[in-house]
Amino acid sequence: MYKPEMVKLLREIQAVDFAIYELALFLNTHPNDRKALEDHNTLVTRSRQLKAQYEDRFGPLRLDSISKYPYQYINDPWPWEIEY
Amino acid sequence: MWYYEKKLQYPANVSGPDLAMAKYLYAQYGGPDSELSAAVRYLTQRYTMPIPQAKATLTDIGTEELAHWEIIGTLIYKLTDGVSPEQMRAAGLGDHFAQHDNALYPHDAAGVPWTAAYIQATGDPIADLHEDLAAEQKARVTYEHLISMTNNAGVIETLSFLREREIVHFQRFGETLMLVKDYMNRKHIF
Amino acid sequence: MAPNDKEITYSYPHMEMKLAEVYIPMQVYGETFDLHTALRYGTLFPDLYRPYVRRPLM
Repeated sequence: MYKPEMVKLLREIQAVDFAIYELALFLNTHPNDRKALEDHNTLVTRSRQLKAQYEDRFGPLRLDSISKYPYQYINDPWPWEIEY
Repeated sequence: MWYYEKKLQYPANVSGPDLAMAKYLYAQYGGPDSELSAAVRYLTQRYTMPIPQAKATLTDIGTEELAHWEIIGTLIYKLTDGVSPEQMRAAGLGDHFAQHDNALYPHDAAGVPWTAAYIQATGDPIADLHEDLAAEQKARVTYEHLISMTNNAGVIETLSFLREREIVHFQRFGETLMLVKDYMNRKHIF
Repeated sequence: MAPNDKEITYSYPHMEMKLAEVYIPMQVYGETFDLHTALRYGTLFPDLYRPYVRRPLM
């Protein structure tokens, strides 16, 4: 149904995106912290790279992602169906 | 506006069945101190926050709580997937099964449906932020209760993640409160 | 003291503490966990990591 490589890449993305969220929450109350902002932006670039790889191999993550034909966004597995 | 990403914030697994736990997890799916309450509370209070840092914090923590609501839903889904009506009944989920089968439903561990009465938005940013600090503490405590009731490793790991998030959120609301107080004090200086 | 506590001095040079007010120190950006540890723990920041020690079920 889905490949271990898909789960592995998804878990990489989860780790990067979690750190981004942590940094974003910190920046909301510390907008003038240069180091935090630099780290945030570095991780955002990394996340975009990983997601481009993921979507190319395993399909769209969002409804505004580019999709092959037929529309792939609807495909299983959905996040609650995955064994991580 | 909100976009959905097909990815859980945390890789939530369950380590085998623990049906009784599914019943208790409803506390965080539709109870007073649940992720749903947190999300609706913060996303509602955000409109009347006076400074950008507060609008951003309420928005982003509220959004993260929706992602946590999804994780709790996932744990319940995984714990009850493929379970028979007899097993549901034996585990104390008969009440739920009678009306909802294996579907999820936003009620608490005792079956009481979620209500907006669980949240408040007073329009006073100081009061609202104090409520948010209390909410994060209540959620933390609920997670500690849940963690102490199970041996299921996957469930414990996921709940531990969610519990730690409440501690971080508490800190952010505290910082936001300091910034709002500072703003309110400066506004009154002529 | 828990293993992650350090002597962290938060100073509020211009703030005088009053009765009936809540004060929470602003976090100072410092060390961070590696990404996979951070996800597992639930925070990027050792300063905010407060693990819950559960008693094993009998």
